[in-house]
Amino acid sequence: MILTTTTIDKIKTRMARYPSHRSAILPALTEAYRQVGNLNPAIYKEIAKIIRVPYVEVAEAASFYTMFPKNETGRYLLQVCHNISCSLRGADNMLLYIQEKLGIKLGETTKDNLFTLISVECLGGCSAAPMLQIDDTYYENLTREKIDSLIADLRTNAAHKNQEAPSTATPDSDSTDSKDDV
Amino acid sequence: MSGNGNEKEQITLTIDGQELTVDKGTNVLEAAAQIGIEIPYFCWHPKLDSVGACRMCLVDVEKIPKPAVSCATEVMPGMVVKTATDEIIKARRGVLEFILLNHPLDCPTCDKGGECDLQDNVFNFGIDKSRQTFTRKRVIDTQTKTTFDDKRIGPEVWRNMNRCVTCFKCTRFNKEIAGEWDLGAFQRGSSTVIDAPPGEQIDNLYSGNVVEICPVGALTNNDWRYKIRNWKATKADSICSHDADGQNITLWYDHRQLFRATSRPNDAIDDGWICNIARYGYQYINSPDRLTKPLIKKGGTQVEATWPEAIELIAKKFSKIKGDKGSVCIAGLLGGNQSNETAYLFNQLFRSVLHSNSVDYRLEYTGLTDGEHSEAYNCLYDAPFQISSLETADCVLIYGSNLIKDHPAVNLRLRKAYRKNDAKVYTANPVETKSGDISTDELIYNPDCGTAFLVALTHALIDGKLYKNIDEAKAAEIKSLLEPSNLNEAATRCGIEVDRINYLASDLAGAKNLFILGGDYLRASSDRSRQANALYNLANLLDIPDSNSAILASQANSKGARFLGLSPQLPAKLAKTLADKWGTTLPESTGCNTSEILKGALEEEIDAVFVMGANPGMRYPDGPFVDAALDKLDFLVVADLFETATSLKADVVLPLAGWSEADGSYVNLSGMYQKFSRALKPKAGIKAGTEILQLLMTAIDPQLKFDLSSLSQNTRDVIDSWAIPQRDKEKFFPVKQAHIVDHEAFPYRLLIGNDLHHYGYLTEHCPSLMKFASEPYVELSTQLAEKLGIDDGDLLRIESTSGKLVLKSKISEFFEGDVIFIPNNFSAVDVNCLVSKETGGWVKIEKLDDK
Repeated sequence: MILTTTTIDKIKTRMARYPSHRSAILPALTEAYRQVGNLNPAIYKEIAKIIRVPYVEVAEAASFYTMFPKNETGRYLLQVCHNISCSLRGADNMLLYIQEKLGIKLGETTKDNLFTLISVECLGGCSAAPMLQIDDTYYENLTREKIDSLIADLRTNAAHKNQEAPSTATPDSDSTDSKDDV
Repeated sequence: MSGNGNEKEQITLTIDGQELTVDKGTNVLEAAAQIGIEIPYFCWHPKLDSVGACRMCLVDVEKIPKPAVSCATEVMPGMVVKTATDEIIKARRGVLEFILLNHPLDCPTCDKGGECDLQDNVFNFGIDKSRQTFTRKRVIDTQTKTTFDDKRIGPEVWRNMNRCVTCFKCTRFNKEIAGEWDLGAFQRGSSTVIDAPPGEQIDNLYSGNVVEICPVGALTNNDWRYKIRNWKATKADSICSHDADGQNITLWYDHRQLFRATSRPNDAIDDGWICNIARYGYQYINSPDRLTKPLIKKGGTQVEATWPEAIELIAKKFSKIKGDKGSVCIAGLLGGNQSNETAYLFNQLFRSVLHSNSVDYRLEYTGLTDGEHSEAYNCLYDAPFQISSLETADCVLIYGSNLIKDHPAVNLRLRKAYRKNDAKVYTANPVETKSGDISTDELIYNPDCGTAFLVALTHALIDGKLYKNIDEAKAAEIKSLLEPSNLNEAATRCGIEVDRINYLASDLAGAKNLFILGGDYLRASSDRSRQANALYNLANLLDIPDSNSAILASQANSKGARFLGLSPQLPAKLAKTLADKWGTTLPESTGCNTSEILKGALEEEIDAVFVMGANPGMRYPDGPFVDAALDKLDFLVVADLFETATSLKADVVLPLAGWSEADGSYVNLSGMYQKFSRALKPKAGIKAGTEILQLLMTAIDPQLKFDLSSLSQNTRDVIDSWAIPQRDKEKFFPVKQAHIVDHEAFPYRLLIGNDLHHYGYLTEHCPSLMKFASEPYVELSTQLAEKLGIDDGDLLRIESTSGKLVLKSKISEFFEGDVIFIPNNFSAVDVNCLVSKETGGWVKIEKLDDK
């Protein structure tokens, strides 16, 4: 079993909110992602069993969304919007800047396993374009300076966390546990 | 397509200037088709719900500001539709240009070429130039440069995503109609991939249909792939030669071989969907292992001979035995998939020429030695159940049938009733079945205790006063016919809780259109007559029509053989018809049925047996008995397509033509007479059943006059003259749970039957079907495997008092408790050695240490 009892309980709680089991596929995938940090067929199978839907439906839903990474990622997954509004407001430059700054290409992970950079479709943050998402937090109206300080903060944060609990390898979800995805 | 047939409301609209009136709920595409206006489409299908995925069927509807998707637009009063305006033509052209962006245009090497909707639609609406400049290959991963190349996603299904138009017909069929979950659409947009879920493959029983409904060459069949252009193949209308559903197929062939079978939609039977056995089950005809020369046993070995030699020898032997010992010493066994015409002549050979009443087609039944089937059994067996009527059911009880294995077409209708009509489905079997996912309750009775379950149900109906058309006194009288004598006892015996039986009883009694169907587990059971009595009682108690309660027939032409009088006892009317047709008198001696024939052989009362198109040596469910009986025979003649366990014992072996090699007809489980045409002629040296029988009869009786031109008509006349018995609504039979064989040292009950992808003994000569299941196995439940420490694939020794076998294990979610299953379709393993009358099918299992 990959999923912990805590995750399974969360999935079951969220399942209870829907009249049809199928509706719980996305919340279940979200909970699993929050625990593991990425998704794979073994997890789909576990979810399928918990919420009693066919395995293929879970696999299909997971494959549809880029928000669920299917491979291992760094500690922080930088999801930069590349859709129309963000592009008009300079998302391409931001992407280039991040690649340059972290020394990685799109889709790659830094050597210290801290950052993975991907570009994604619209995240609904057009009013504050360009923007990116890390875990459940939006970082908006991006500029080079903002990116500099964001990355510095995340590095400090990670170092700090590592001192406290060196074994932590899952995404930071402290502040977002109770929040639902929209 | 949302019309469910109940709405009578009519809608009037105008399409291309023509006014028409159609049922409410019709969509614009169907409405246009009714007046002969063809709207192009990819994703629409009359038997699937509309999704509007392909955008090909755009039309102009007045007051709708942009082109509307006609397959997903319901007709409205006063609607004005234009299907061919300049704007619409342009829109369709645009849709096609997008679809063709990545299409490889590999039509010259594509199997779909010539029957491709994309070719047709581009021909009609497309542009002749593309504006694109990049490579025509979809890349799903820019880093690894993974492209959509051909991939085999199942034993028989190849997928090429470059050709896909993402109409989702395949996944919709798989999920909606077949209820299977081994195919999905992954990723999204232009990266969409049709595939089996990670780690699995598409191998369900109906998987061939996804290839057939693919409008383009994205999904292709392995058996047809790169073999022949479809316009070079000749087509013949045919019927599936395996199970009794009578699925309609088209055979495609040239002068060398058969190439494929496709569905020939018949809404009365298959709804246009055929199972893999119907689709790939033709392949045994092509097999290189076919017998092509008669064999005669000389000095203990079978040596090749000529037809005249073989026929002369048989005629001489039969005549001699008839003269010396009497005609009662000759018997005939006919396979359940021989055509009506063959069956008719076989009957004539025995009853008229050889003067013996010992003929039978029921070769896979045990227990006929205890007497013929009960009146109730025969009445339910003959019941005029129509497959299509099942979709109108609001409640169904499937008793003793693994429906998907036994009757693939009936299984799809049951699913349709569940899907479209919200029918309550109850299944009662010794093991779980695939119908479980649509069942309100899946009742599992203890092995051999089906009768107790039916008795319990009868008690529940009577105790709850849920019966119809009888009074209380009569009800009490019926109760006294039952054993166990009360509900609790019967429920304990069958191992199902009283509450569940009561619940079932109230649902059955409350149903408006109830069906009760029995199948393979019932037929294979040695006390099937008693179970039939119980079903008969239930049908009367619940007052359901004759056509709604039936025991389903097993083989392609079992019912035809029955209607033609291929069992020892002939109804008087049929006897007269036959005597008139043949211009002879029929023998008055009592004939023997299969079990009695074998018993007679063992006791040297029967000297000669003619087996045609059947393999009792492998299939008769009492191995030691049938082996001993066949060995004792003086003279055994076998006509078959292949060397079989039976033919190896024969004194004369005749190479028989397959069903597709002669014109003929079958009667399906509904009693529906269906003709099929000859596809390819048999190879030199092989003769059709009718020809063999004709040669034999004239050799025995040179005076006999034949008019083969009227054979088909004569056969039809006899079939039509069969009087289908009516259920006597006043009649109730005693029902008693049989005593179970003492089996202390043998704790597990063995079930024997068909593998999901096999039927009978011929399908192991079909390479495609062998890809789904290539070797015998023993299927057991997860609990049992855990208990005995068995892993998937372990070698197990299965032992009964009559024999033992070593087989690979297969752990299945469909099994519960102490029941195990072994398929009887593989000649390499004689499963029936484990069963005899004494063992009652109880075995023990031992794990072998070395793998």
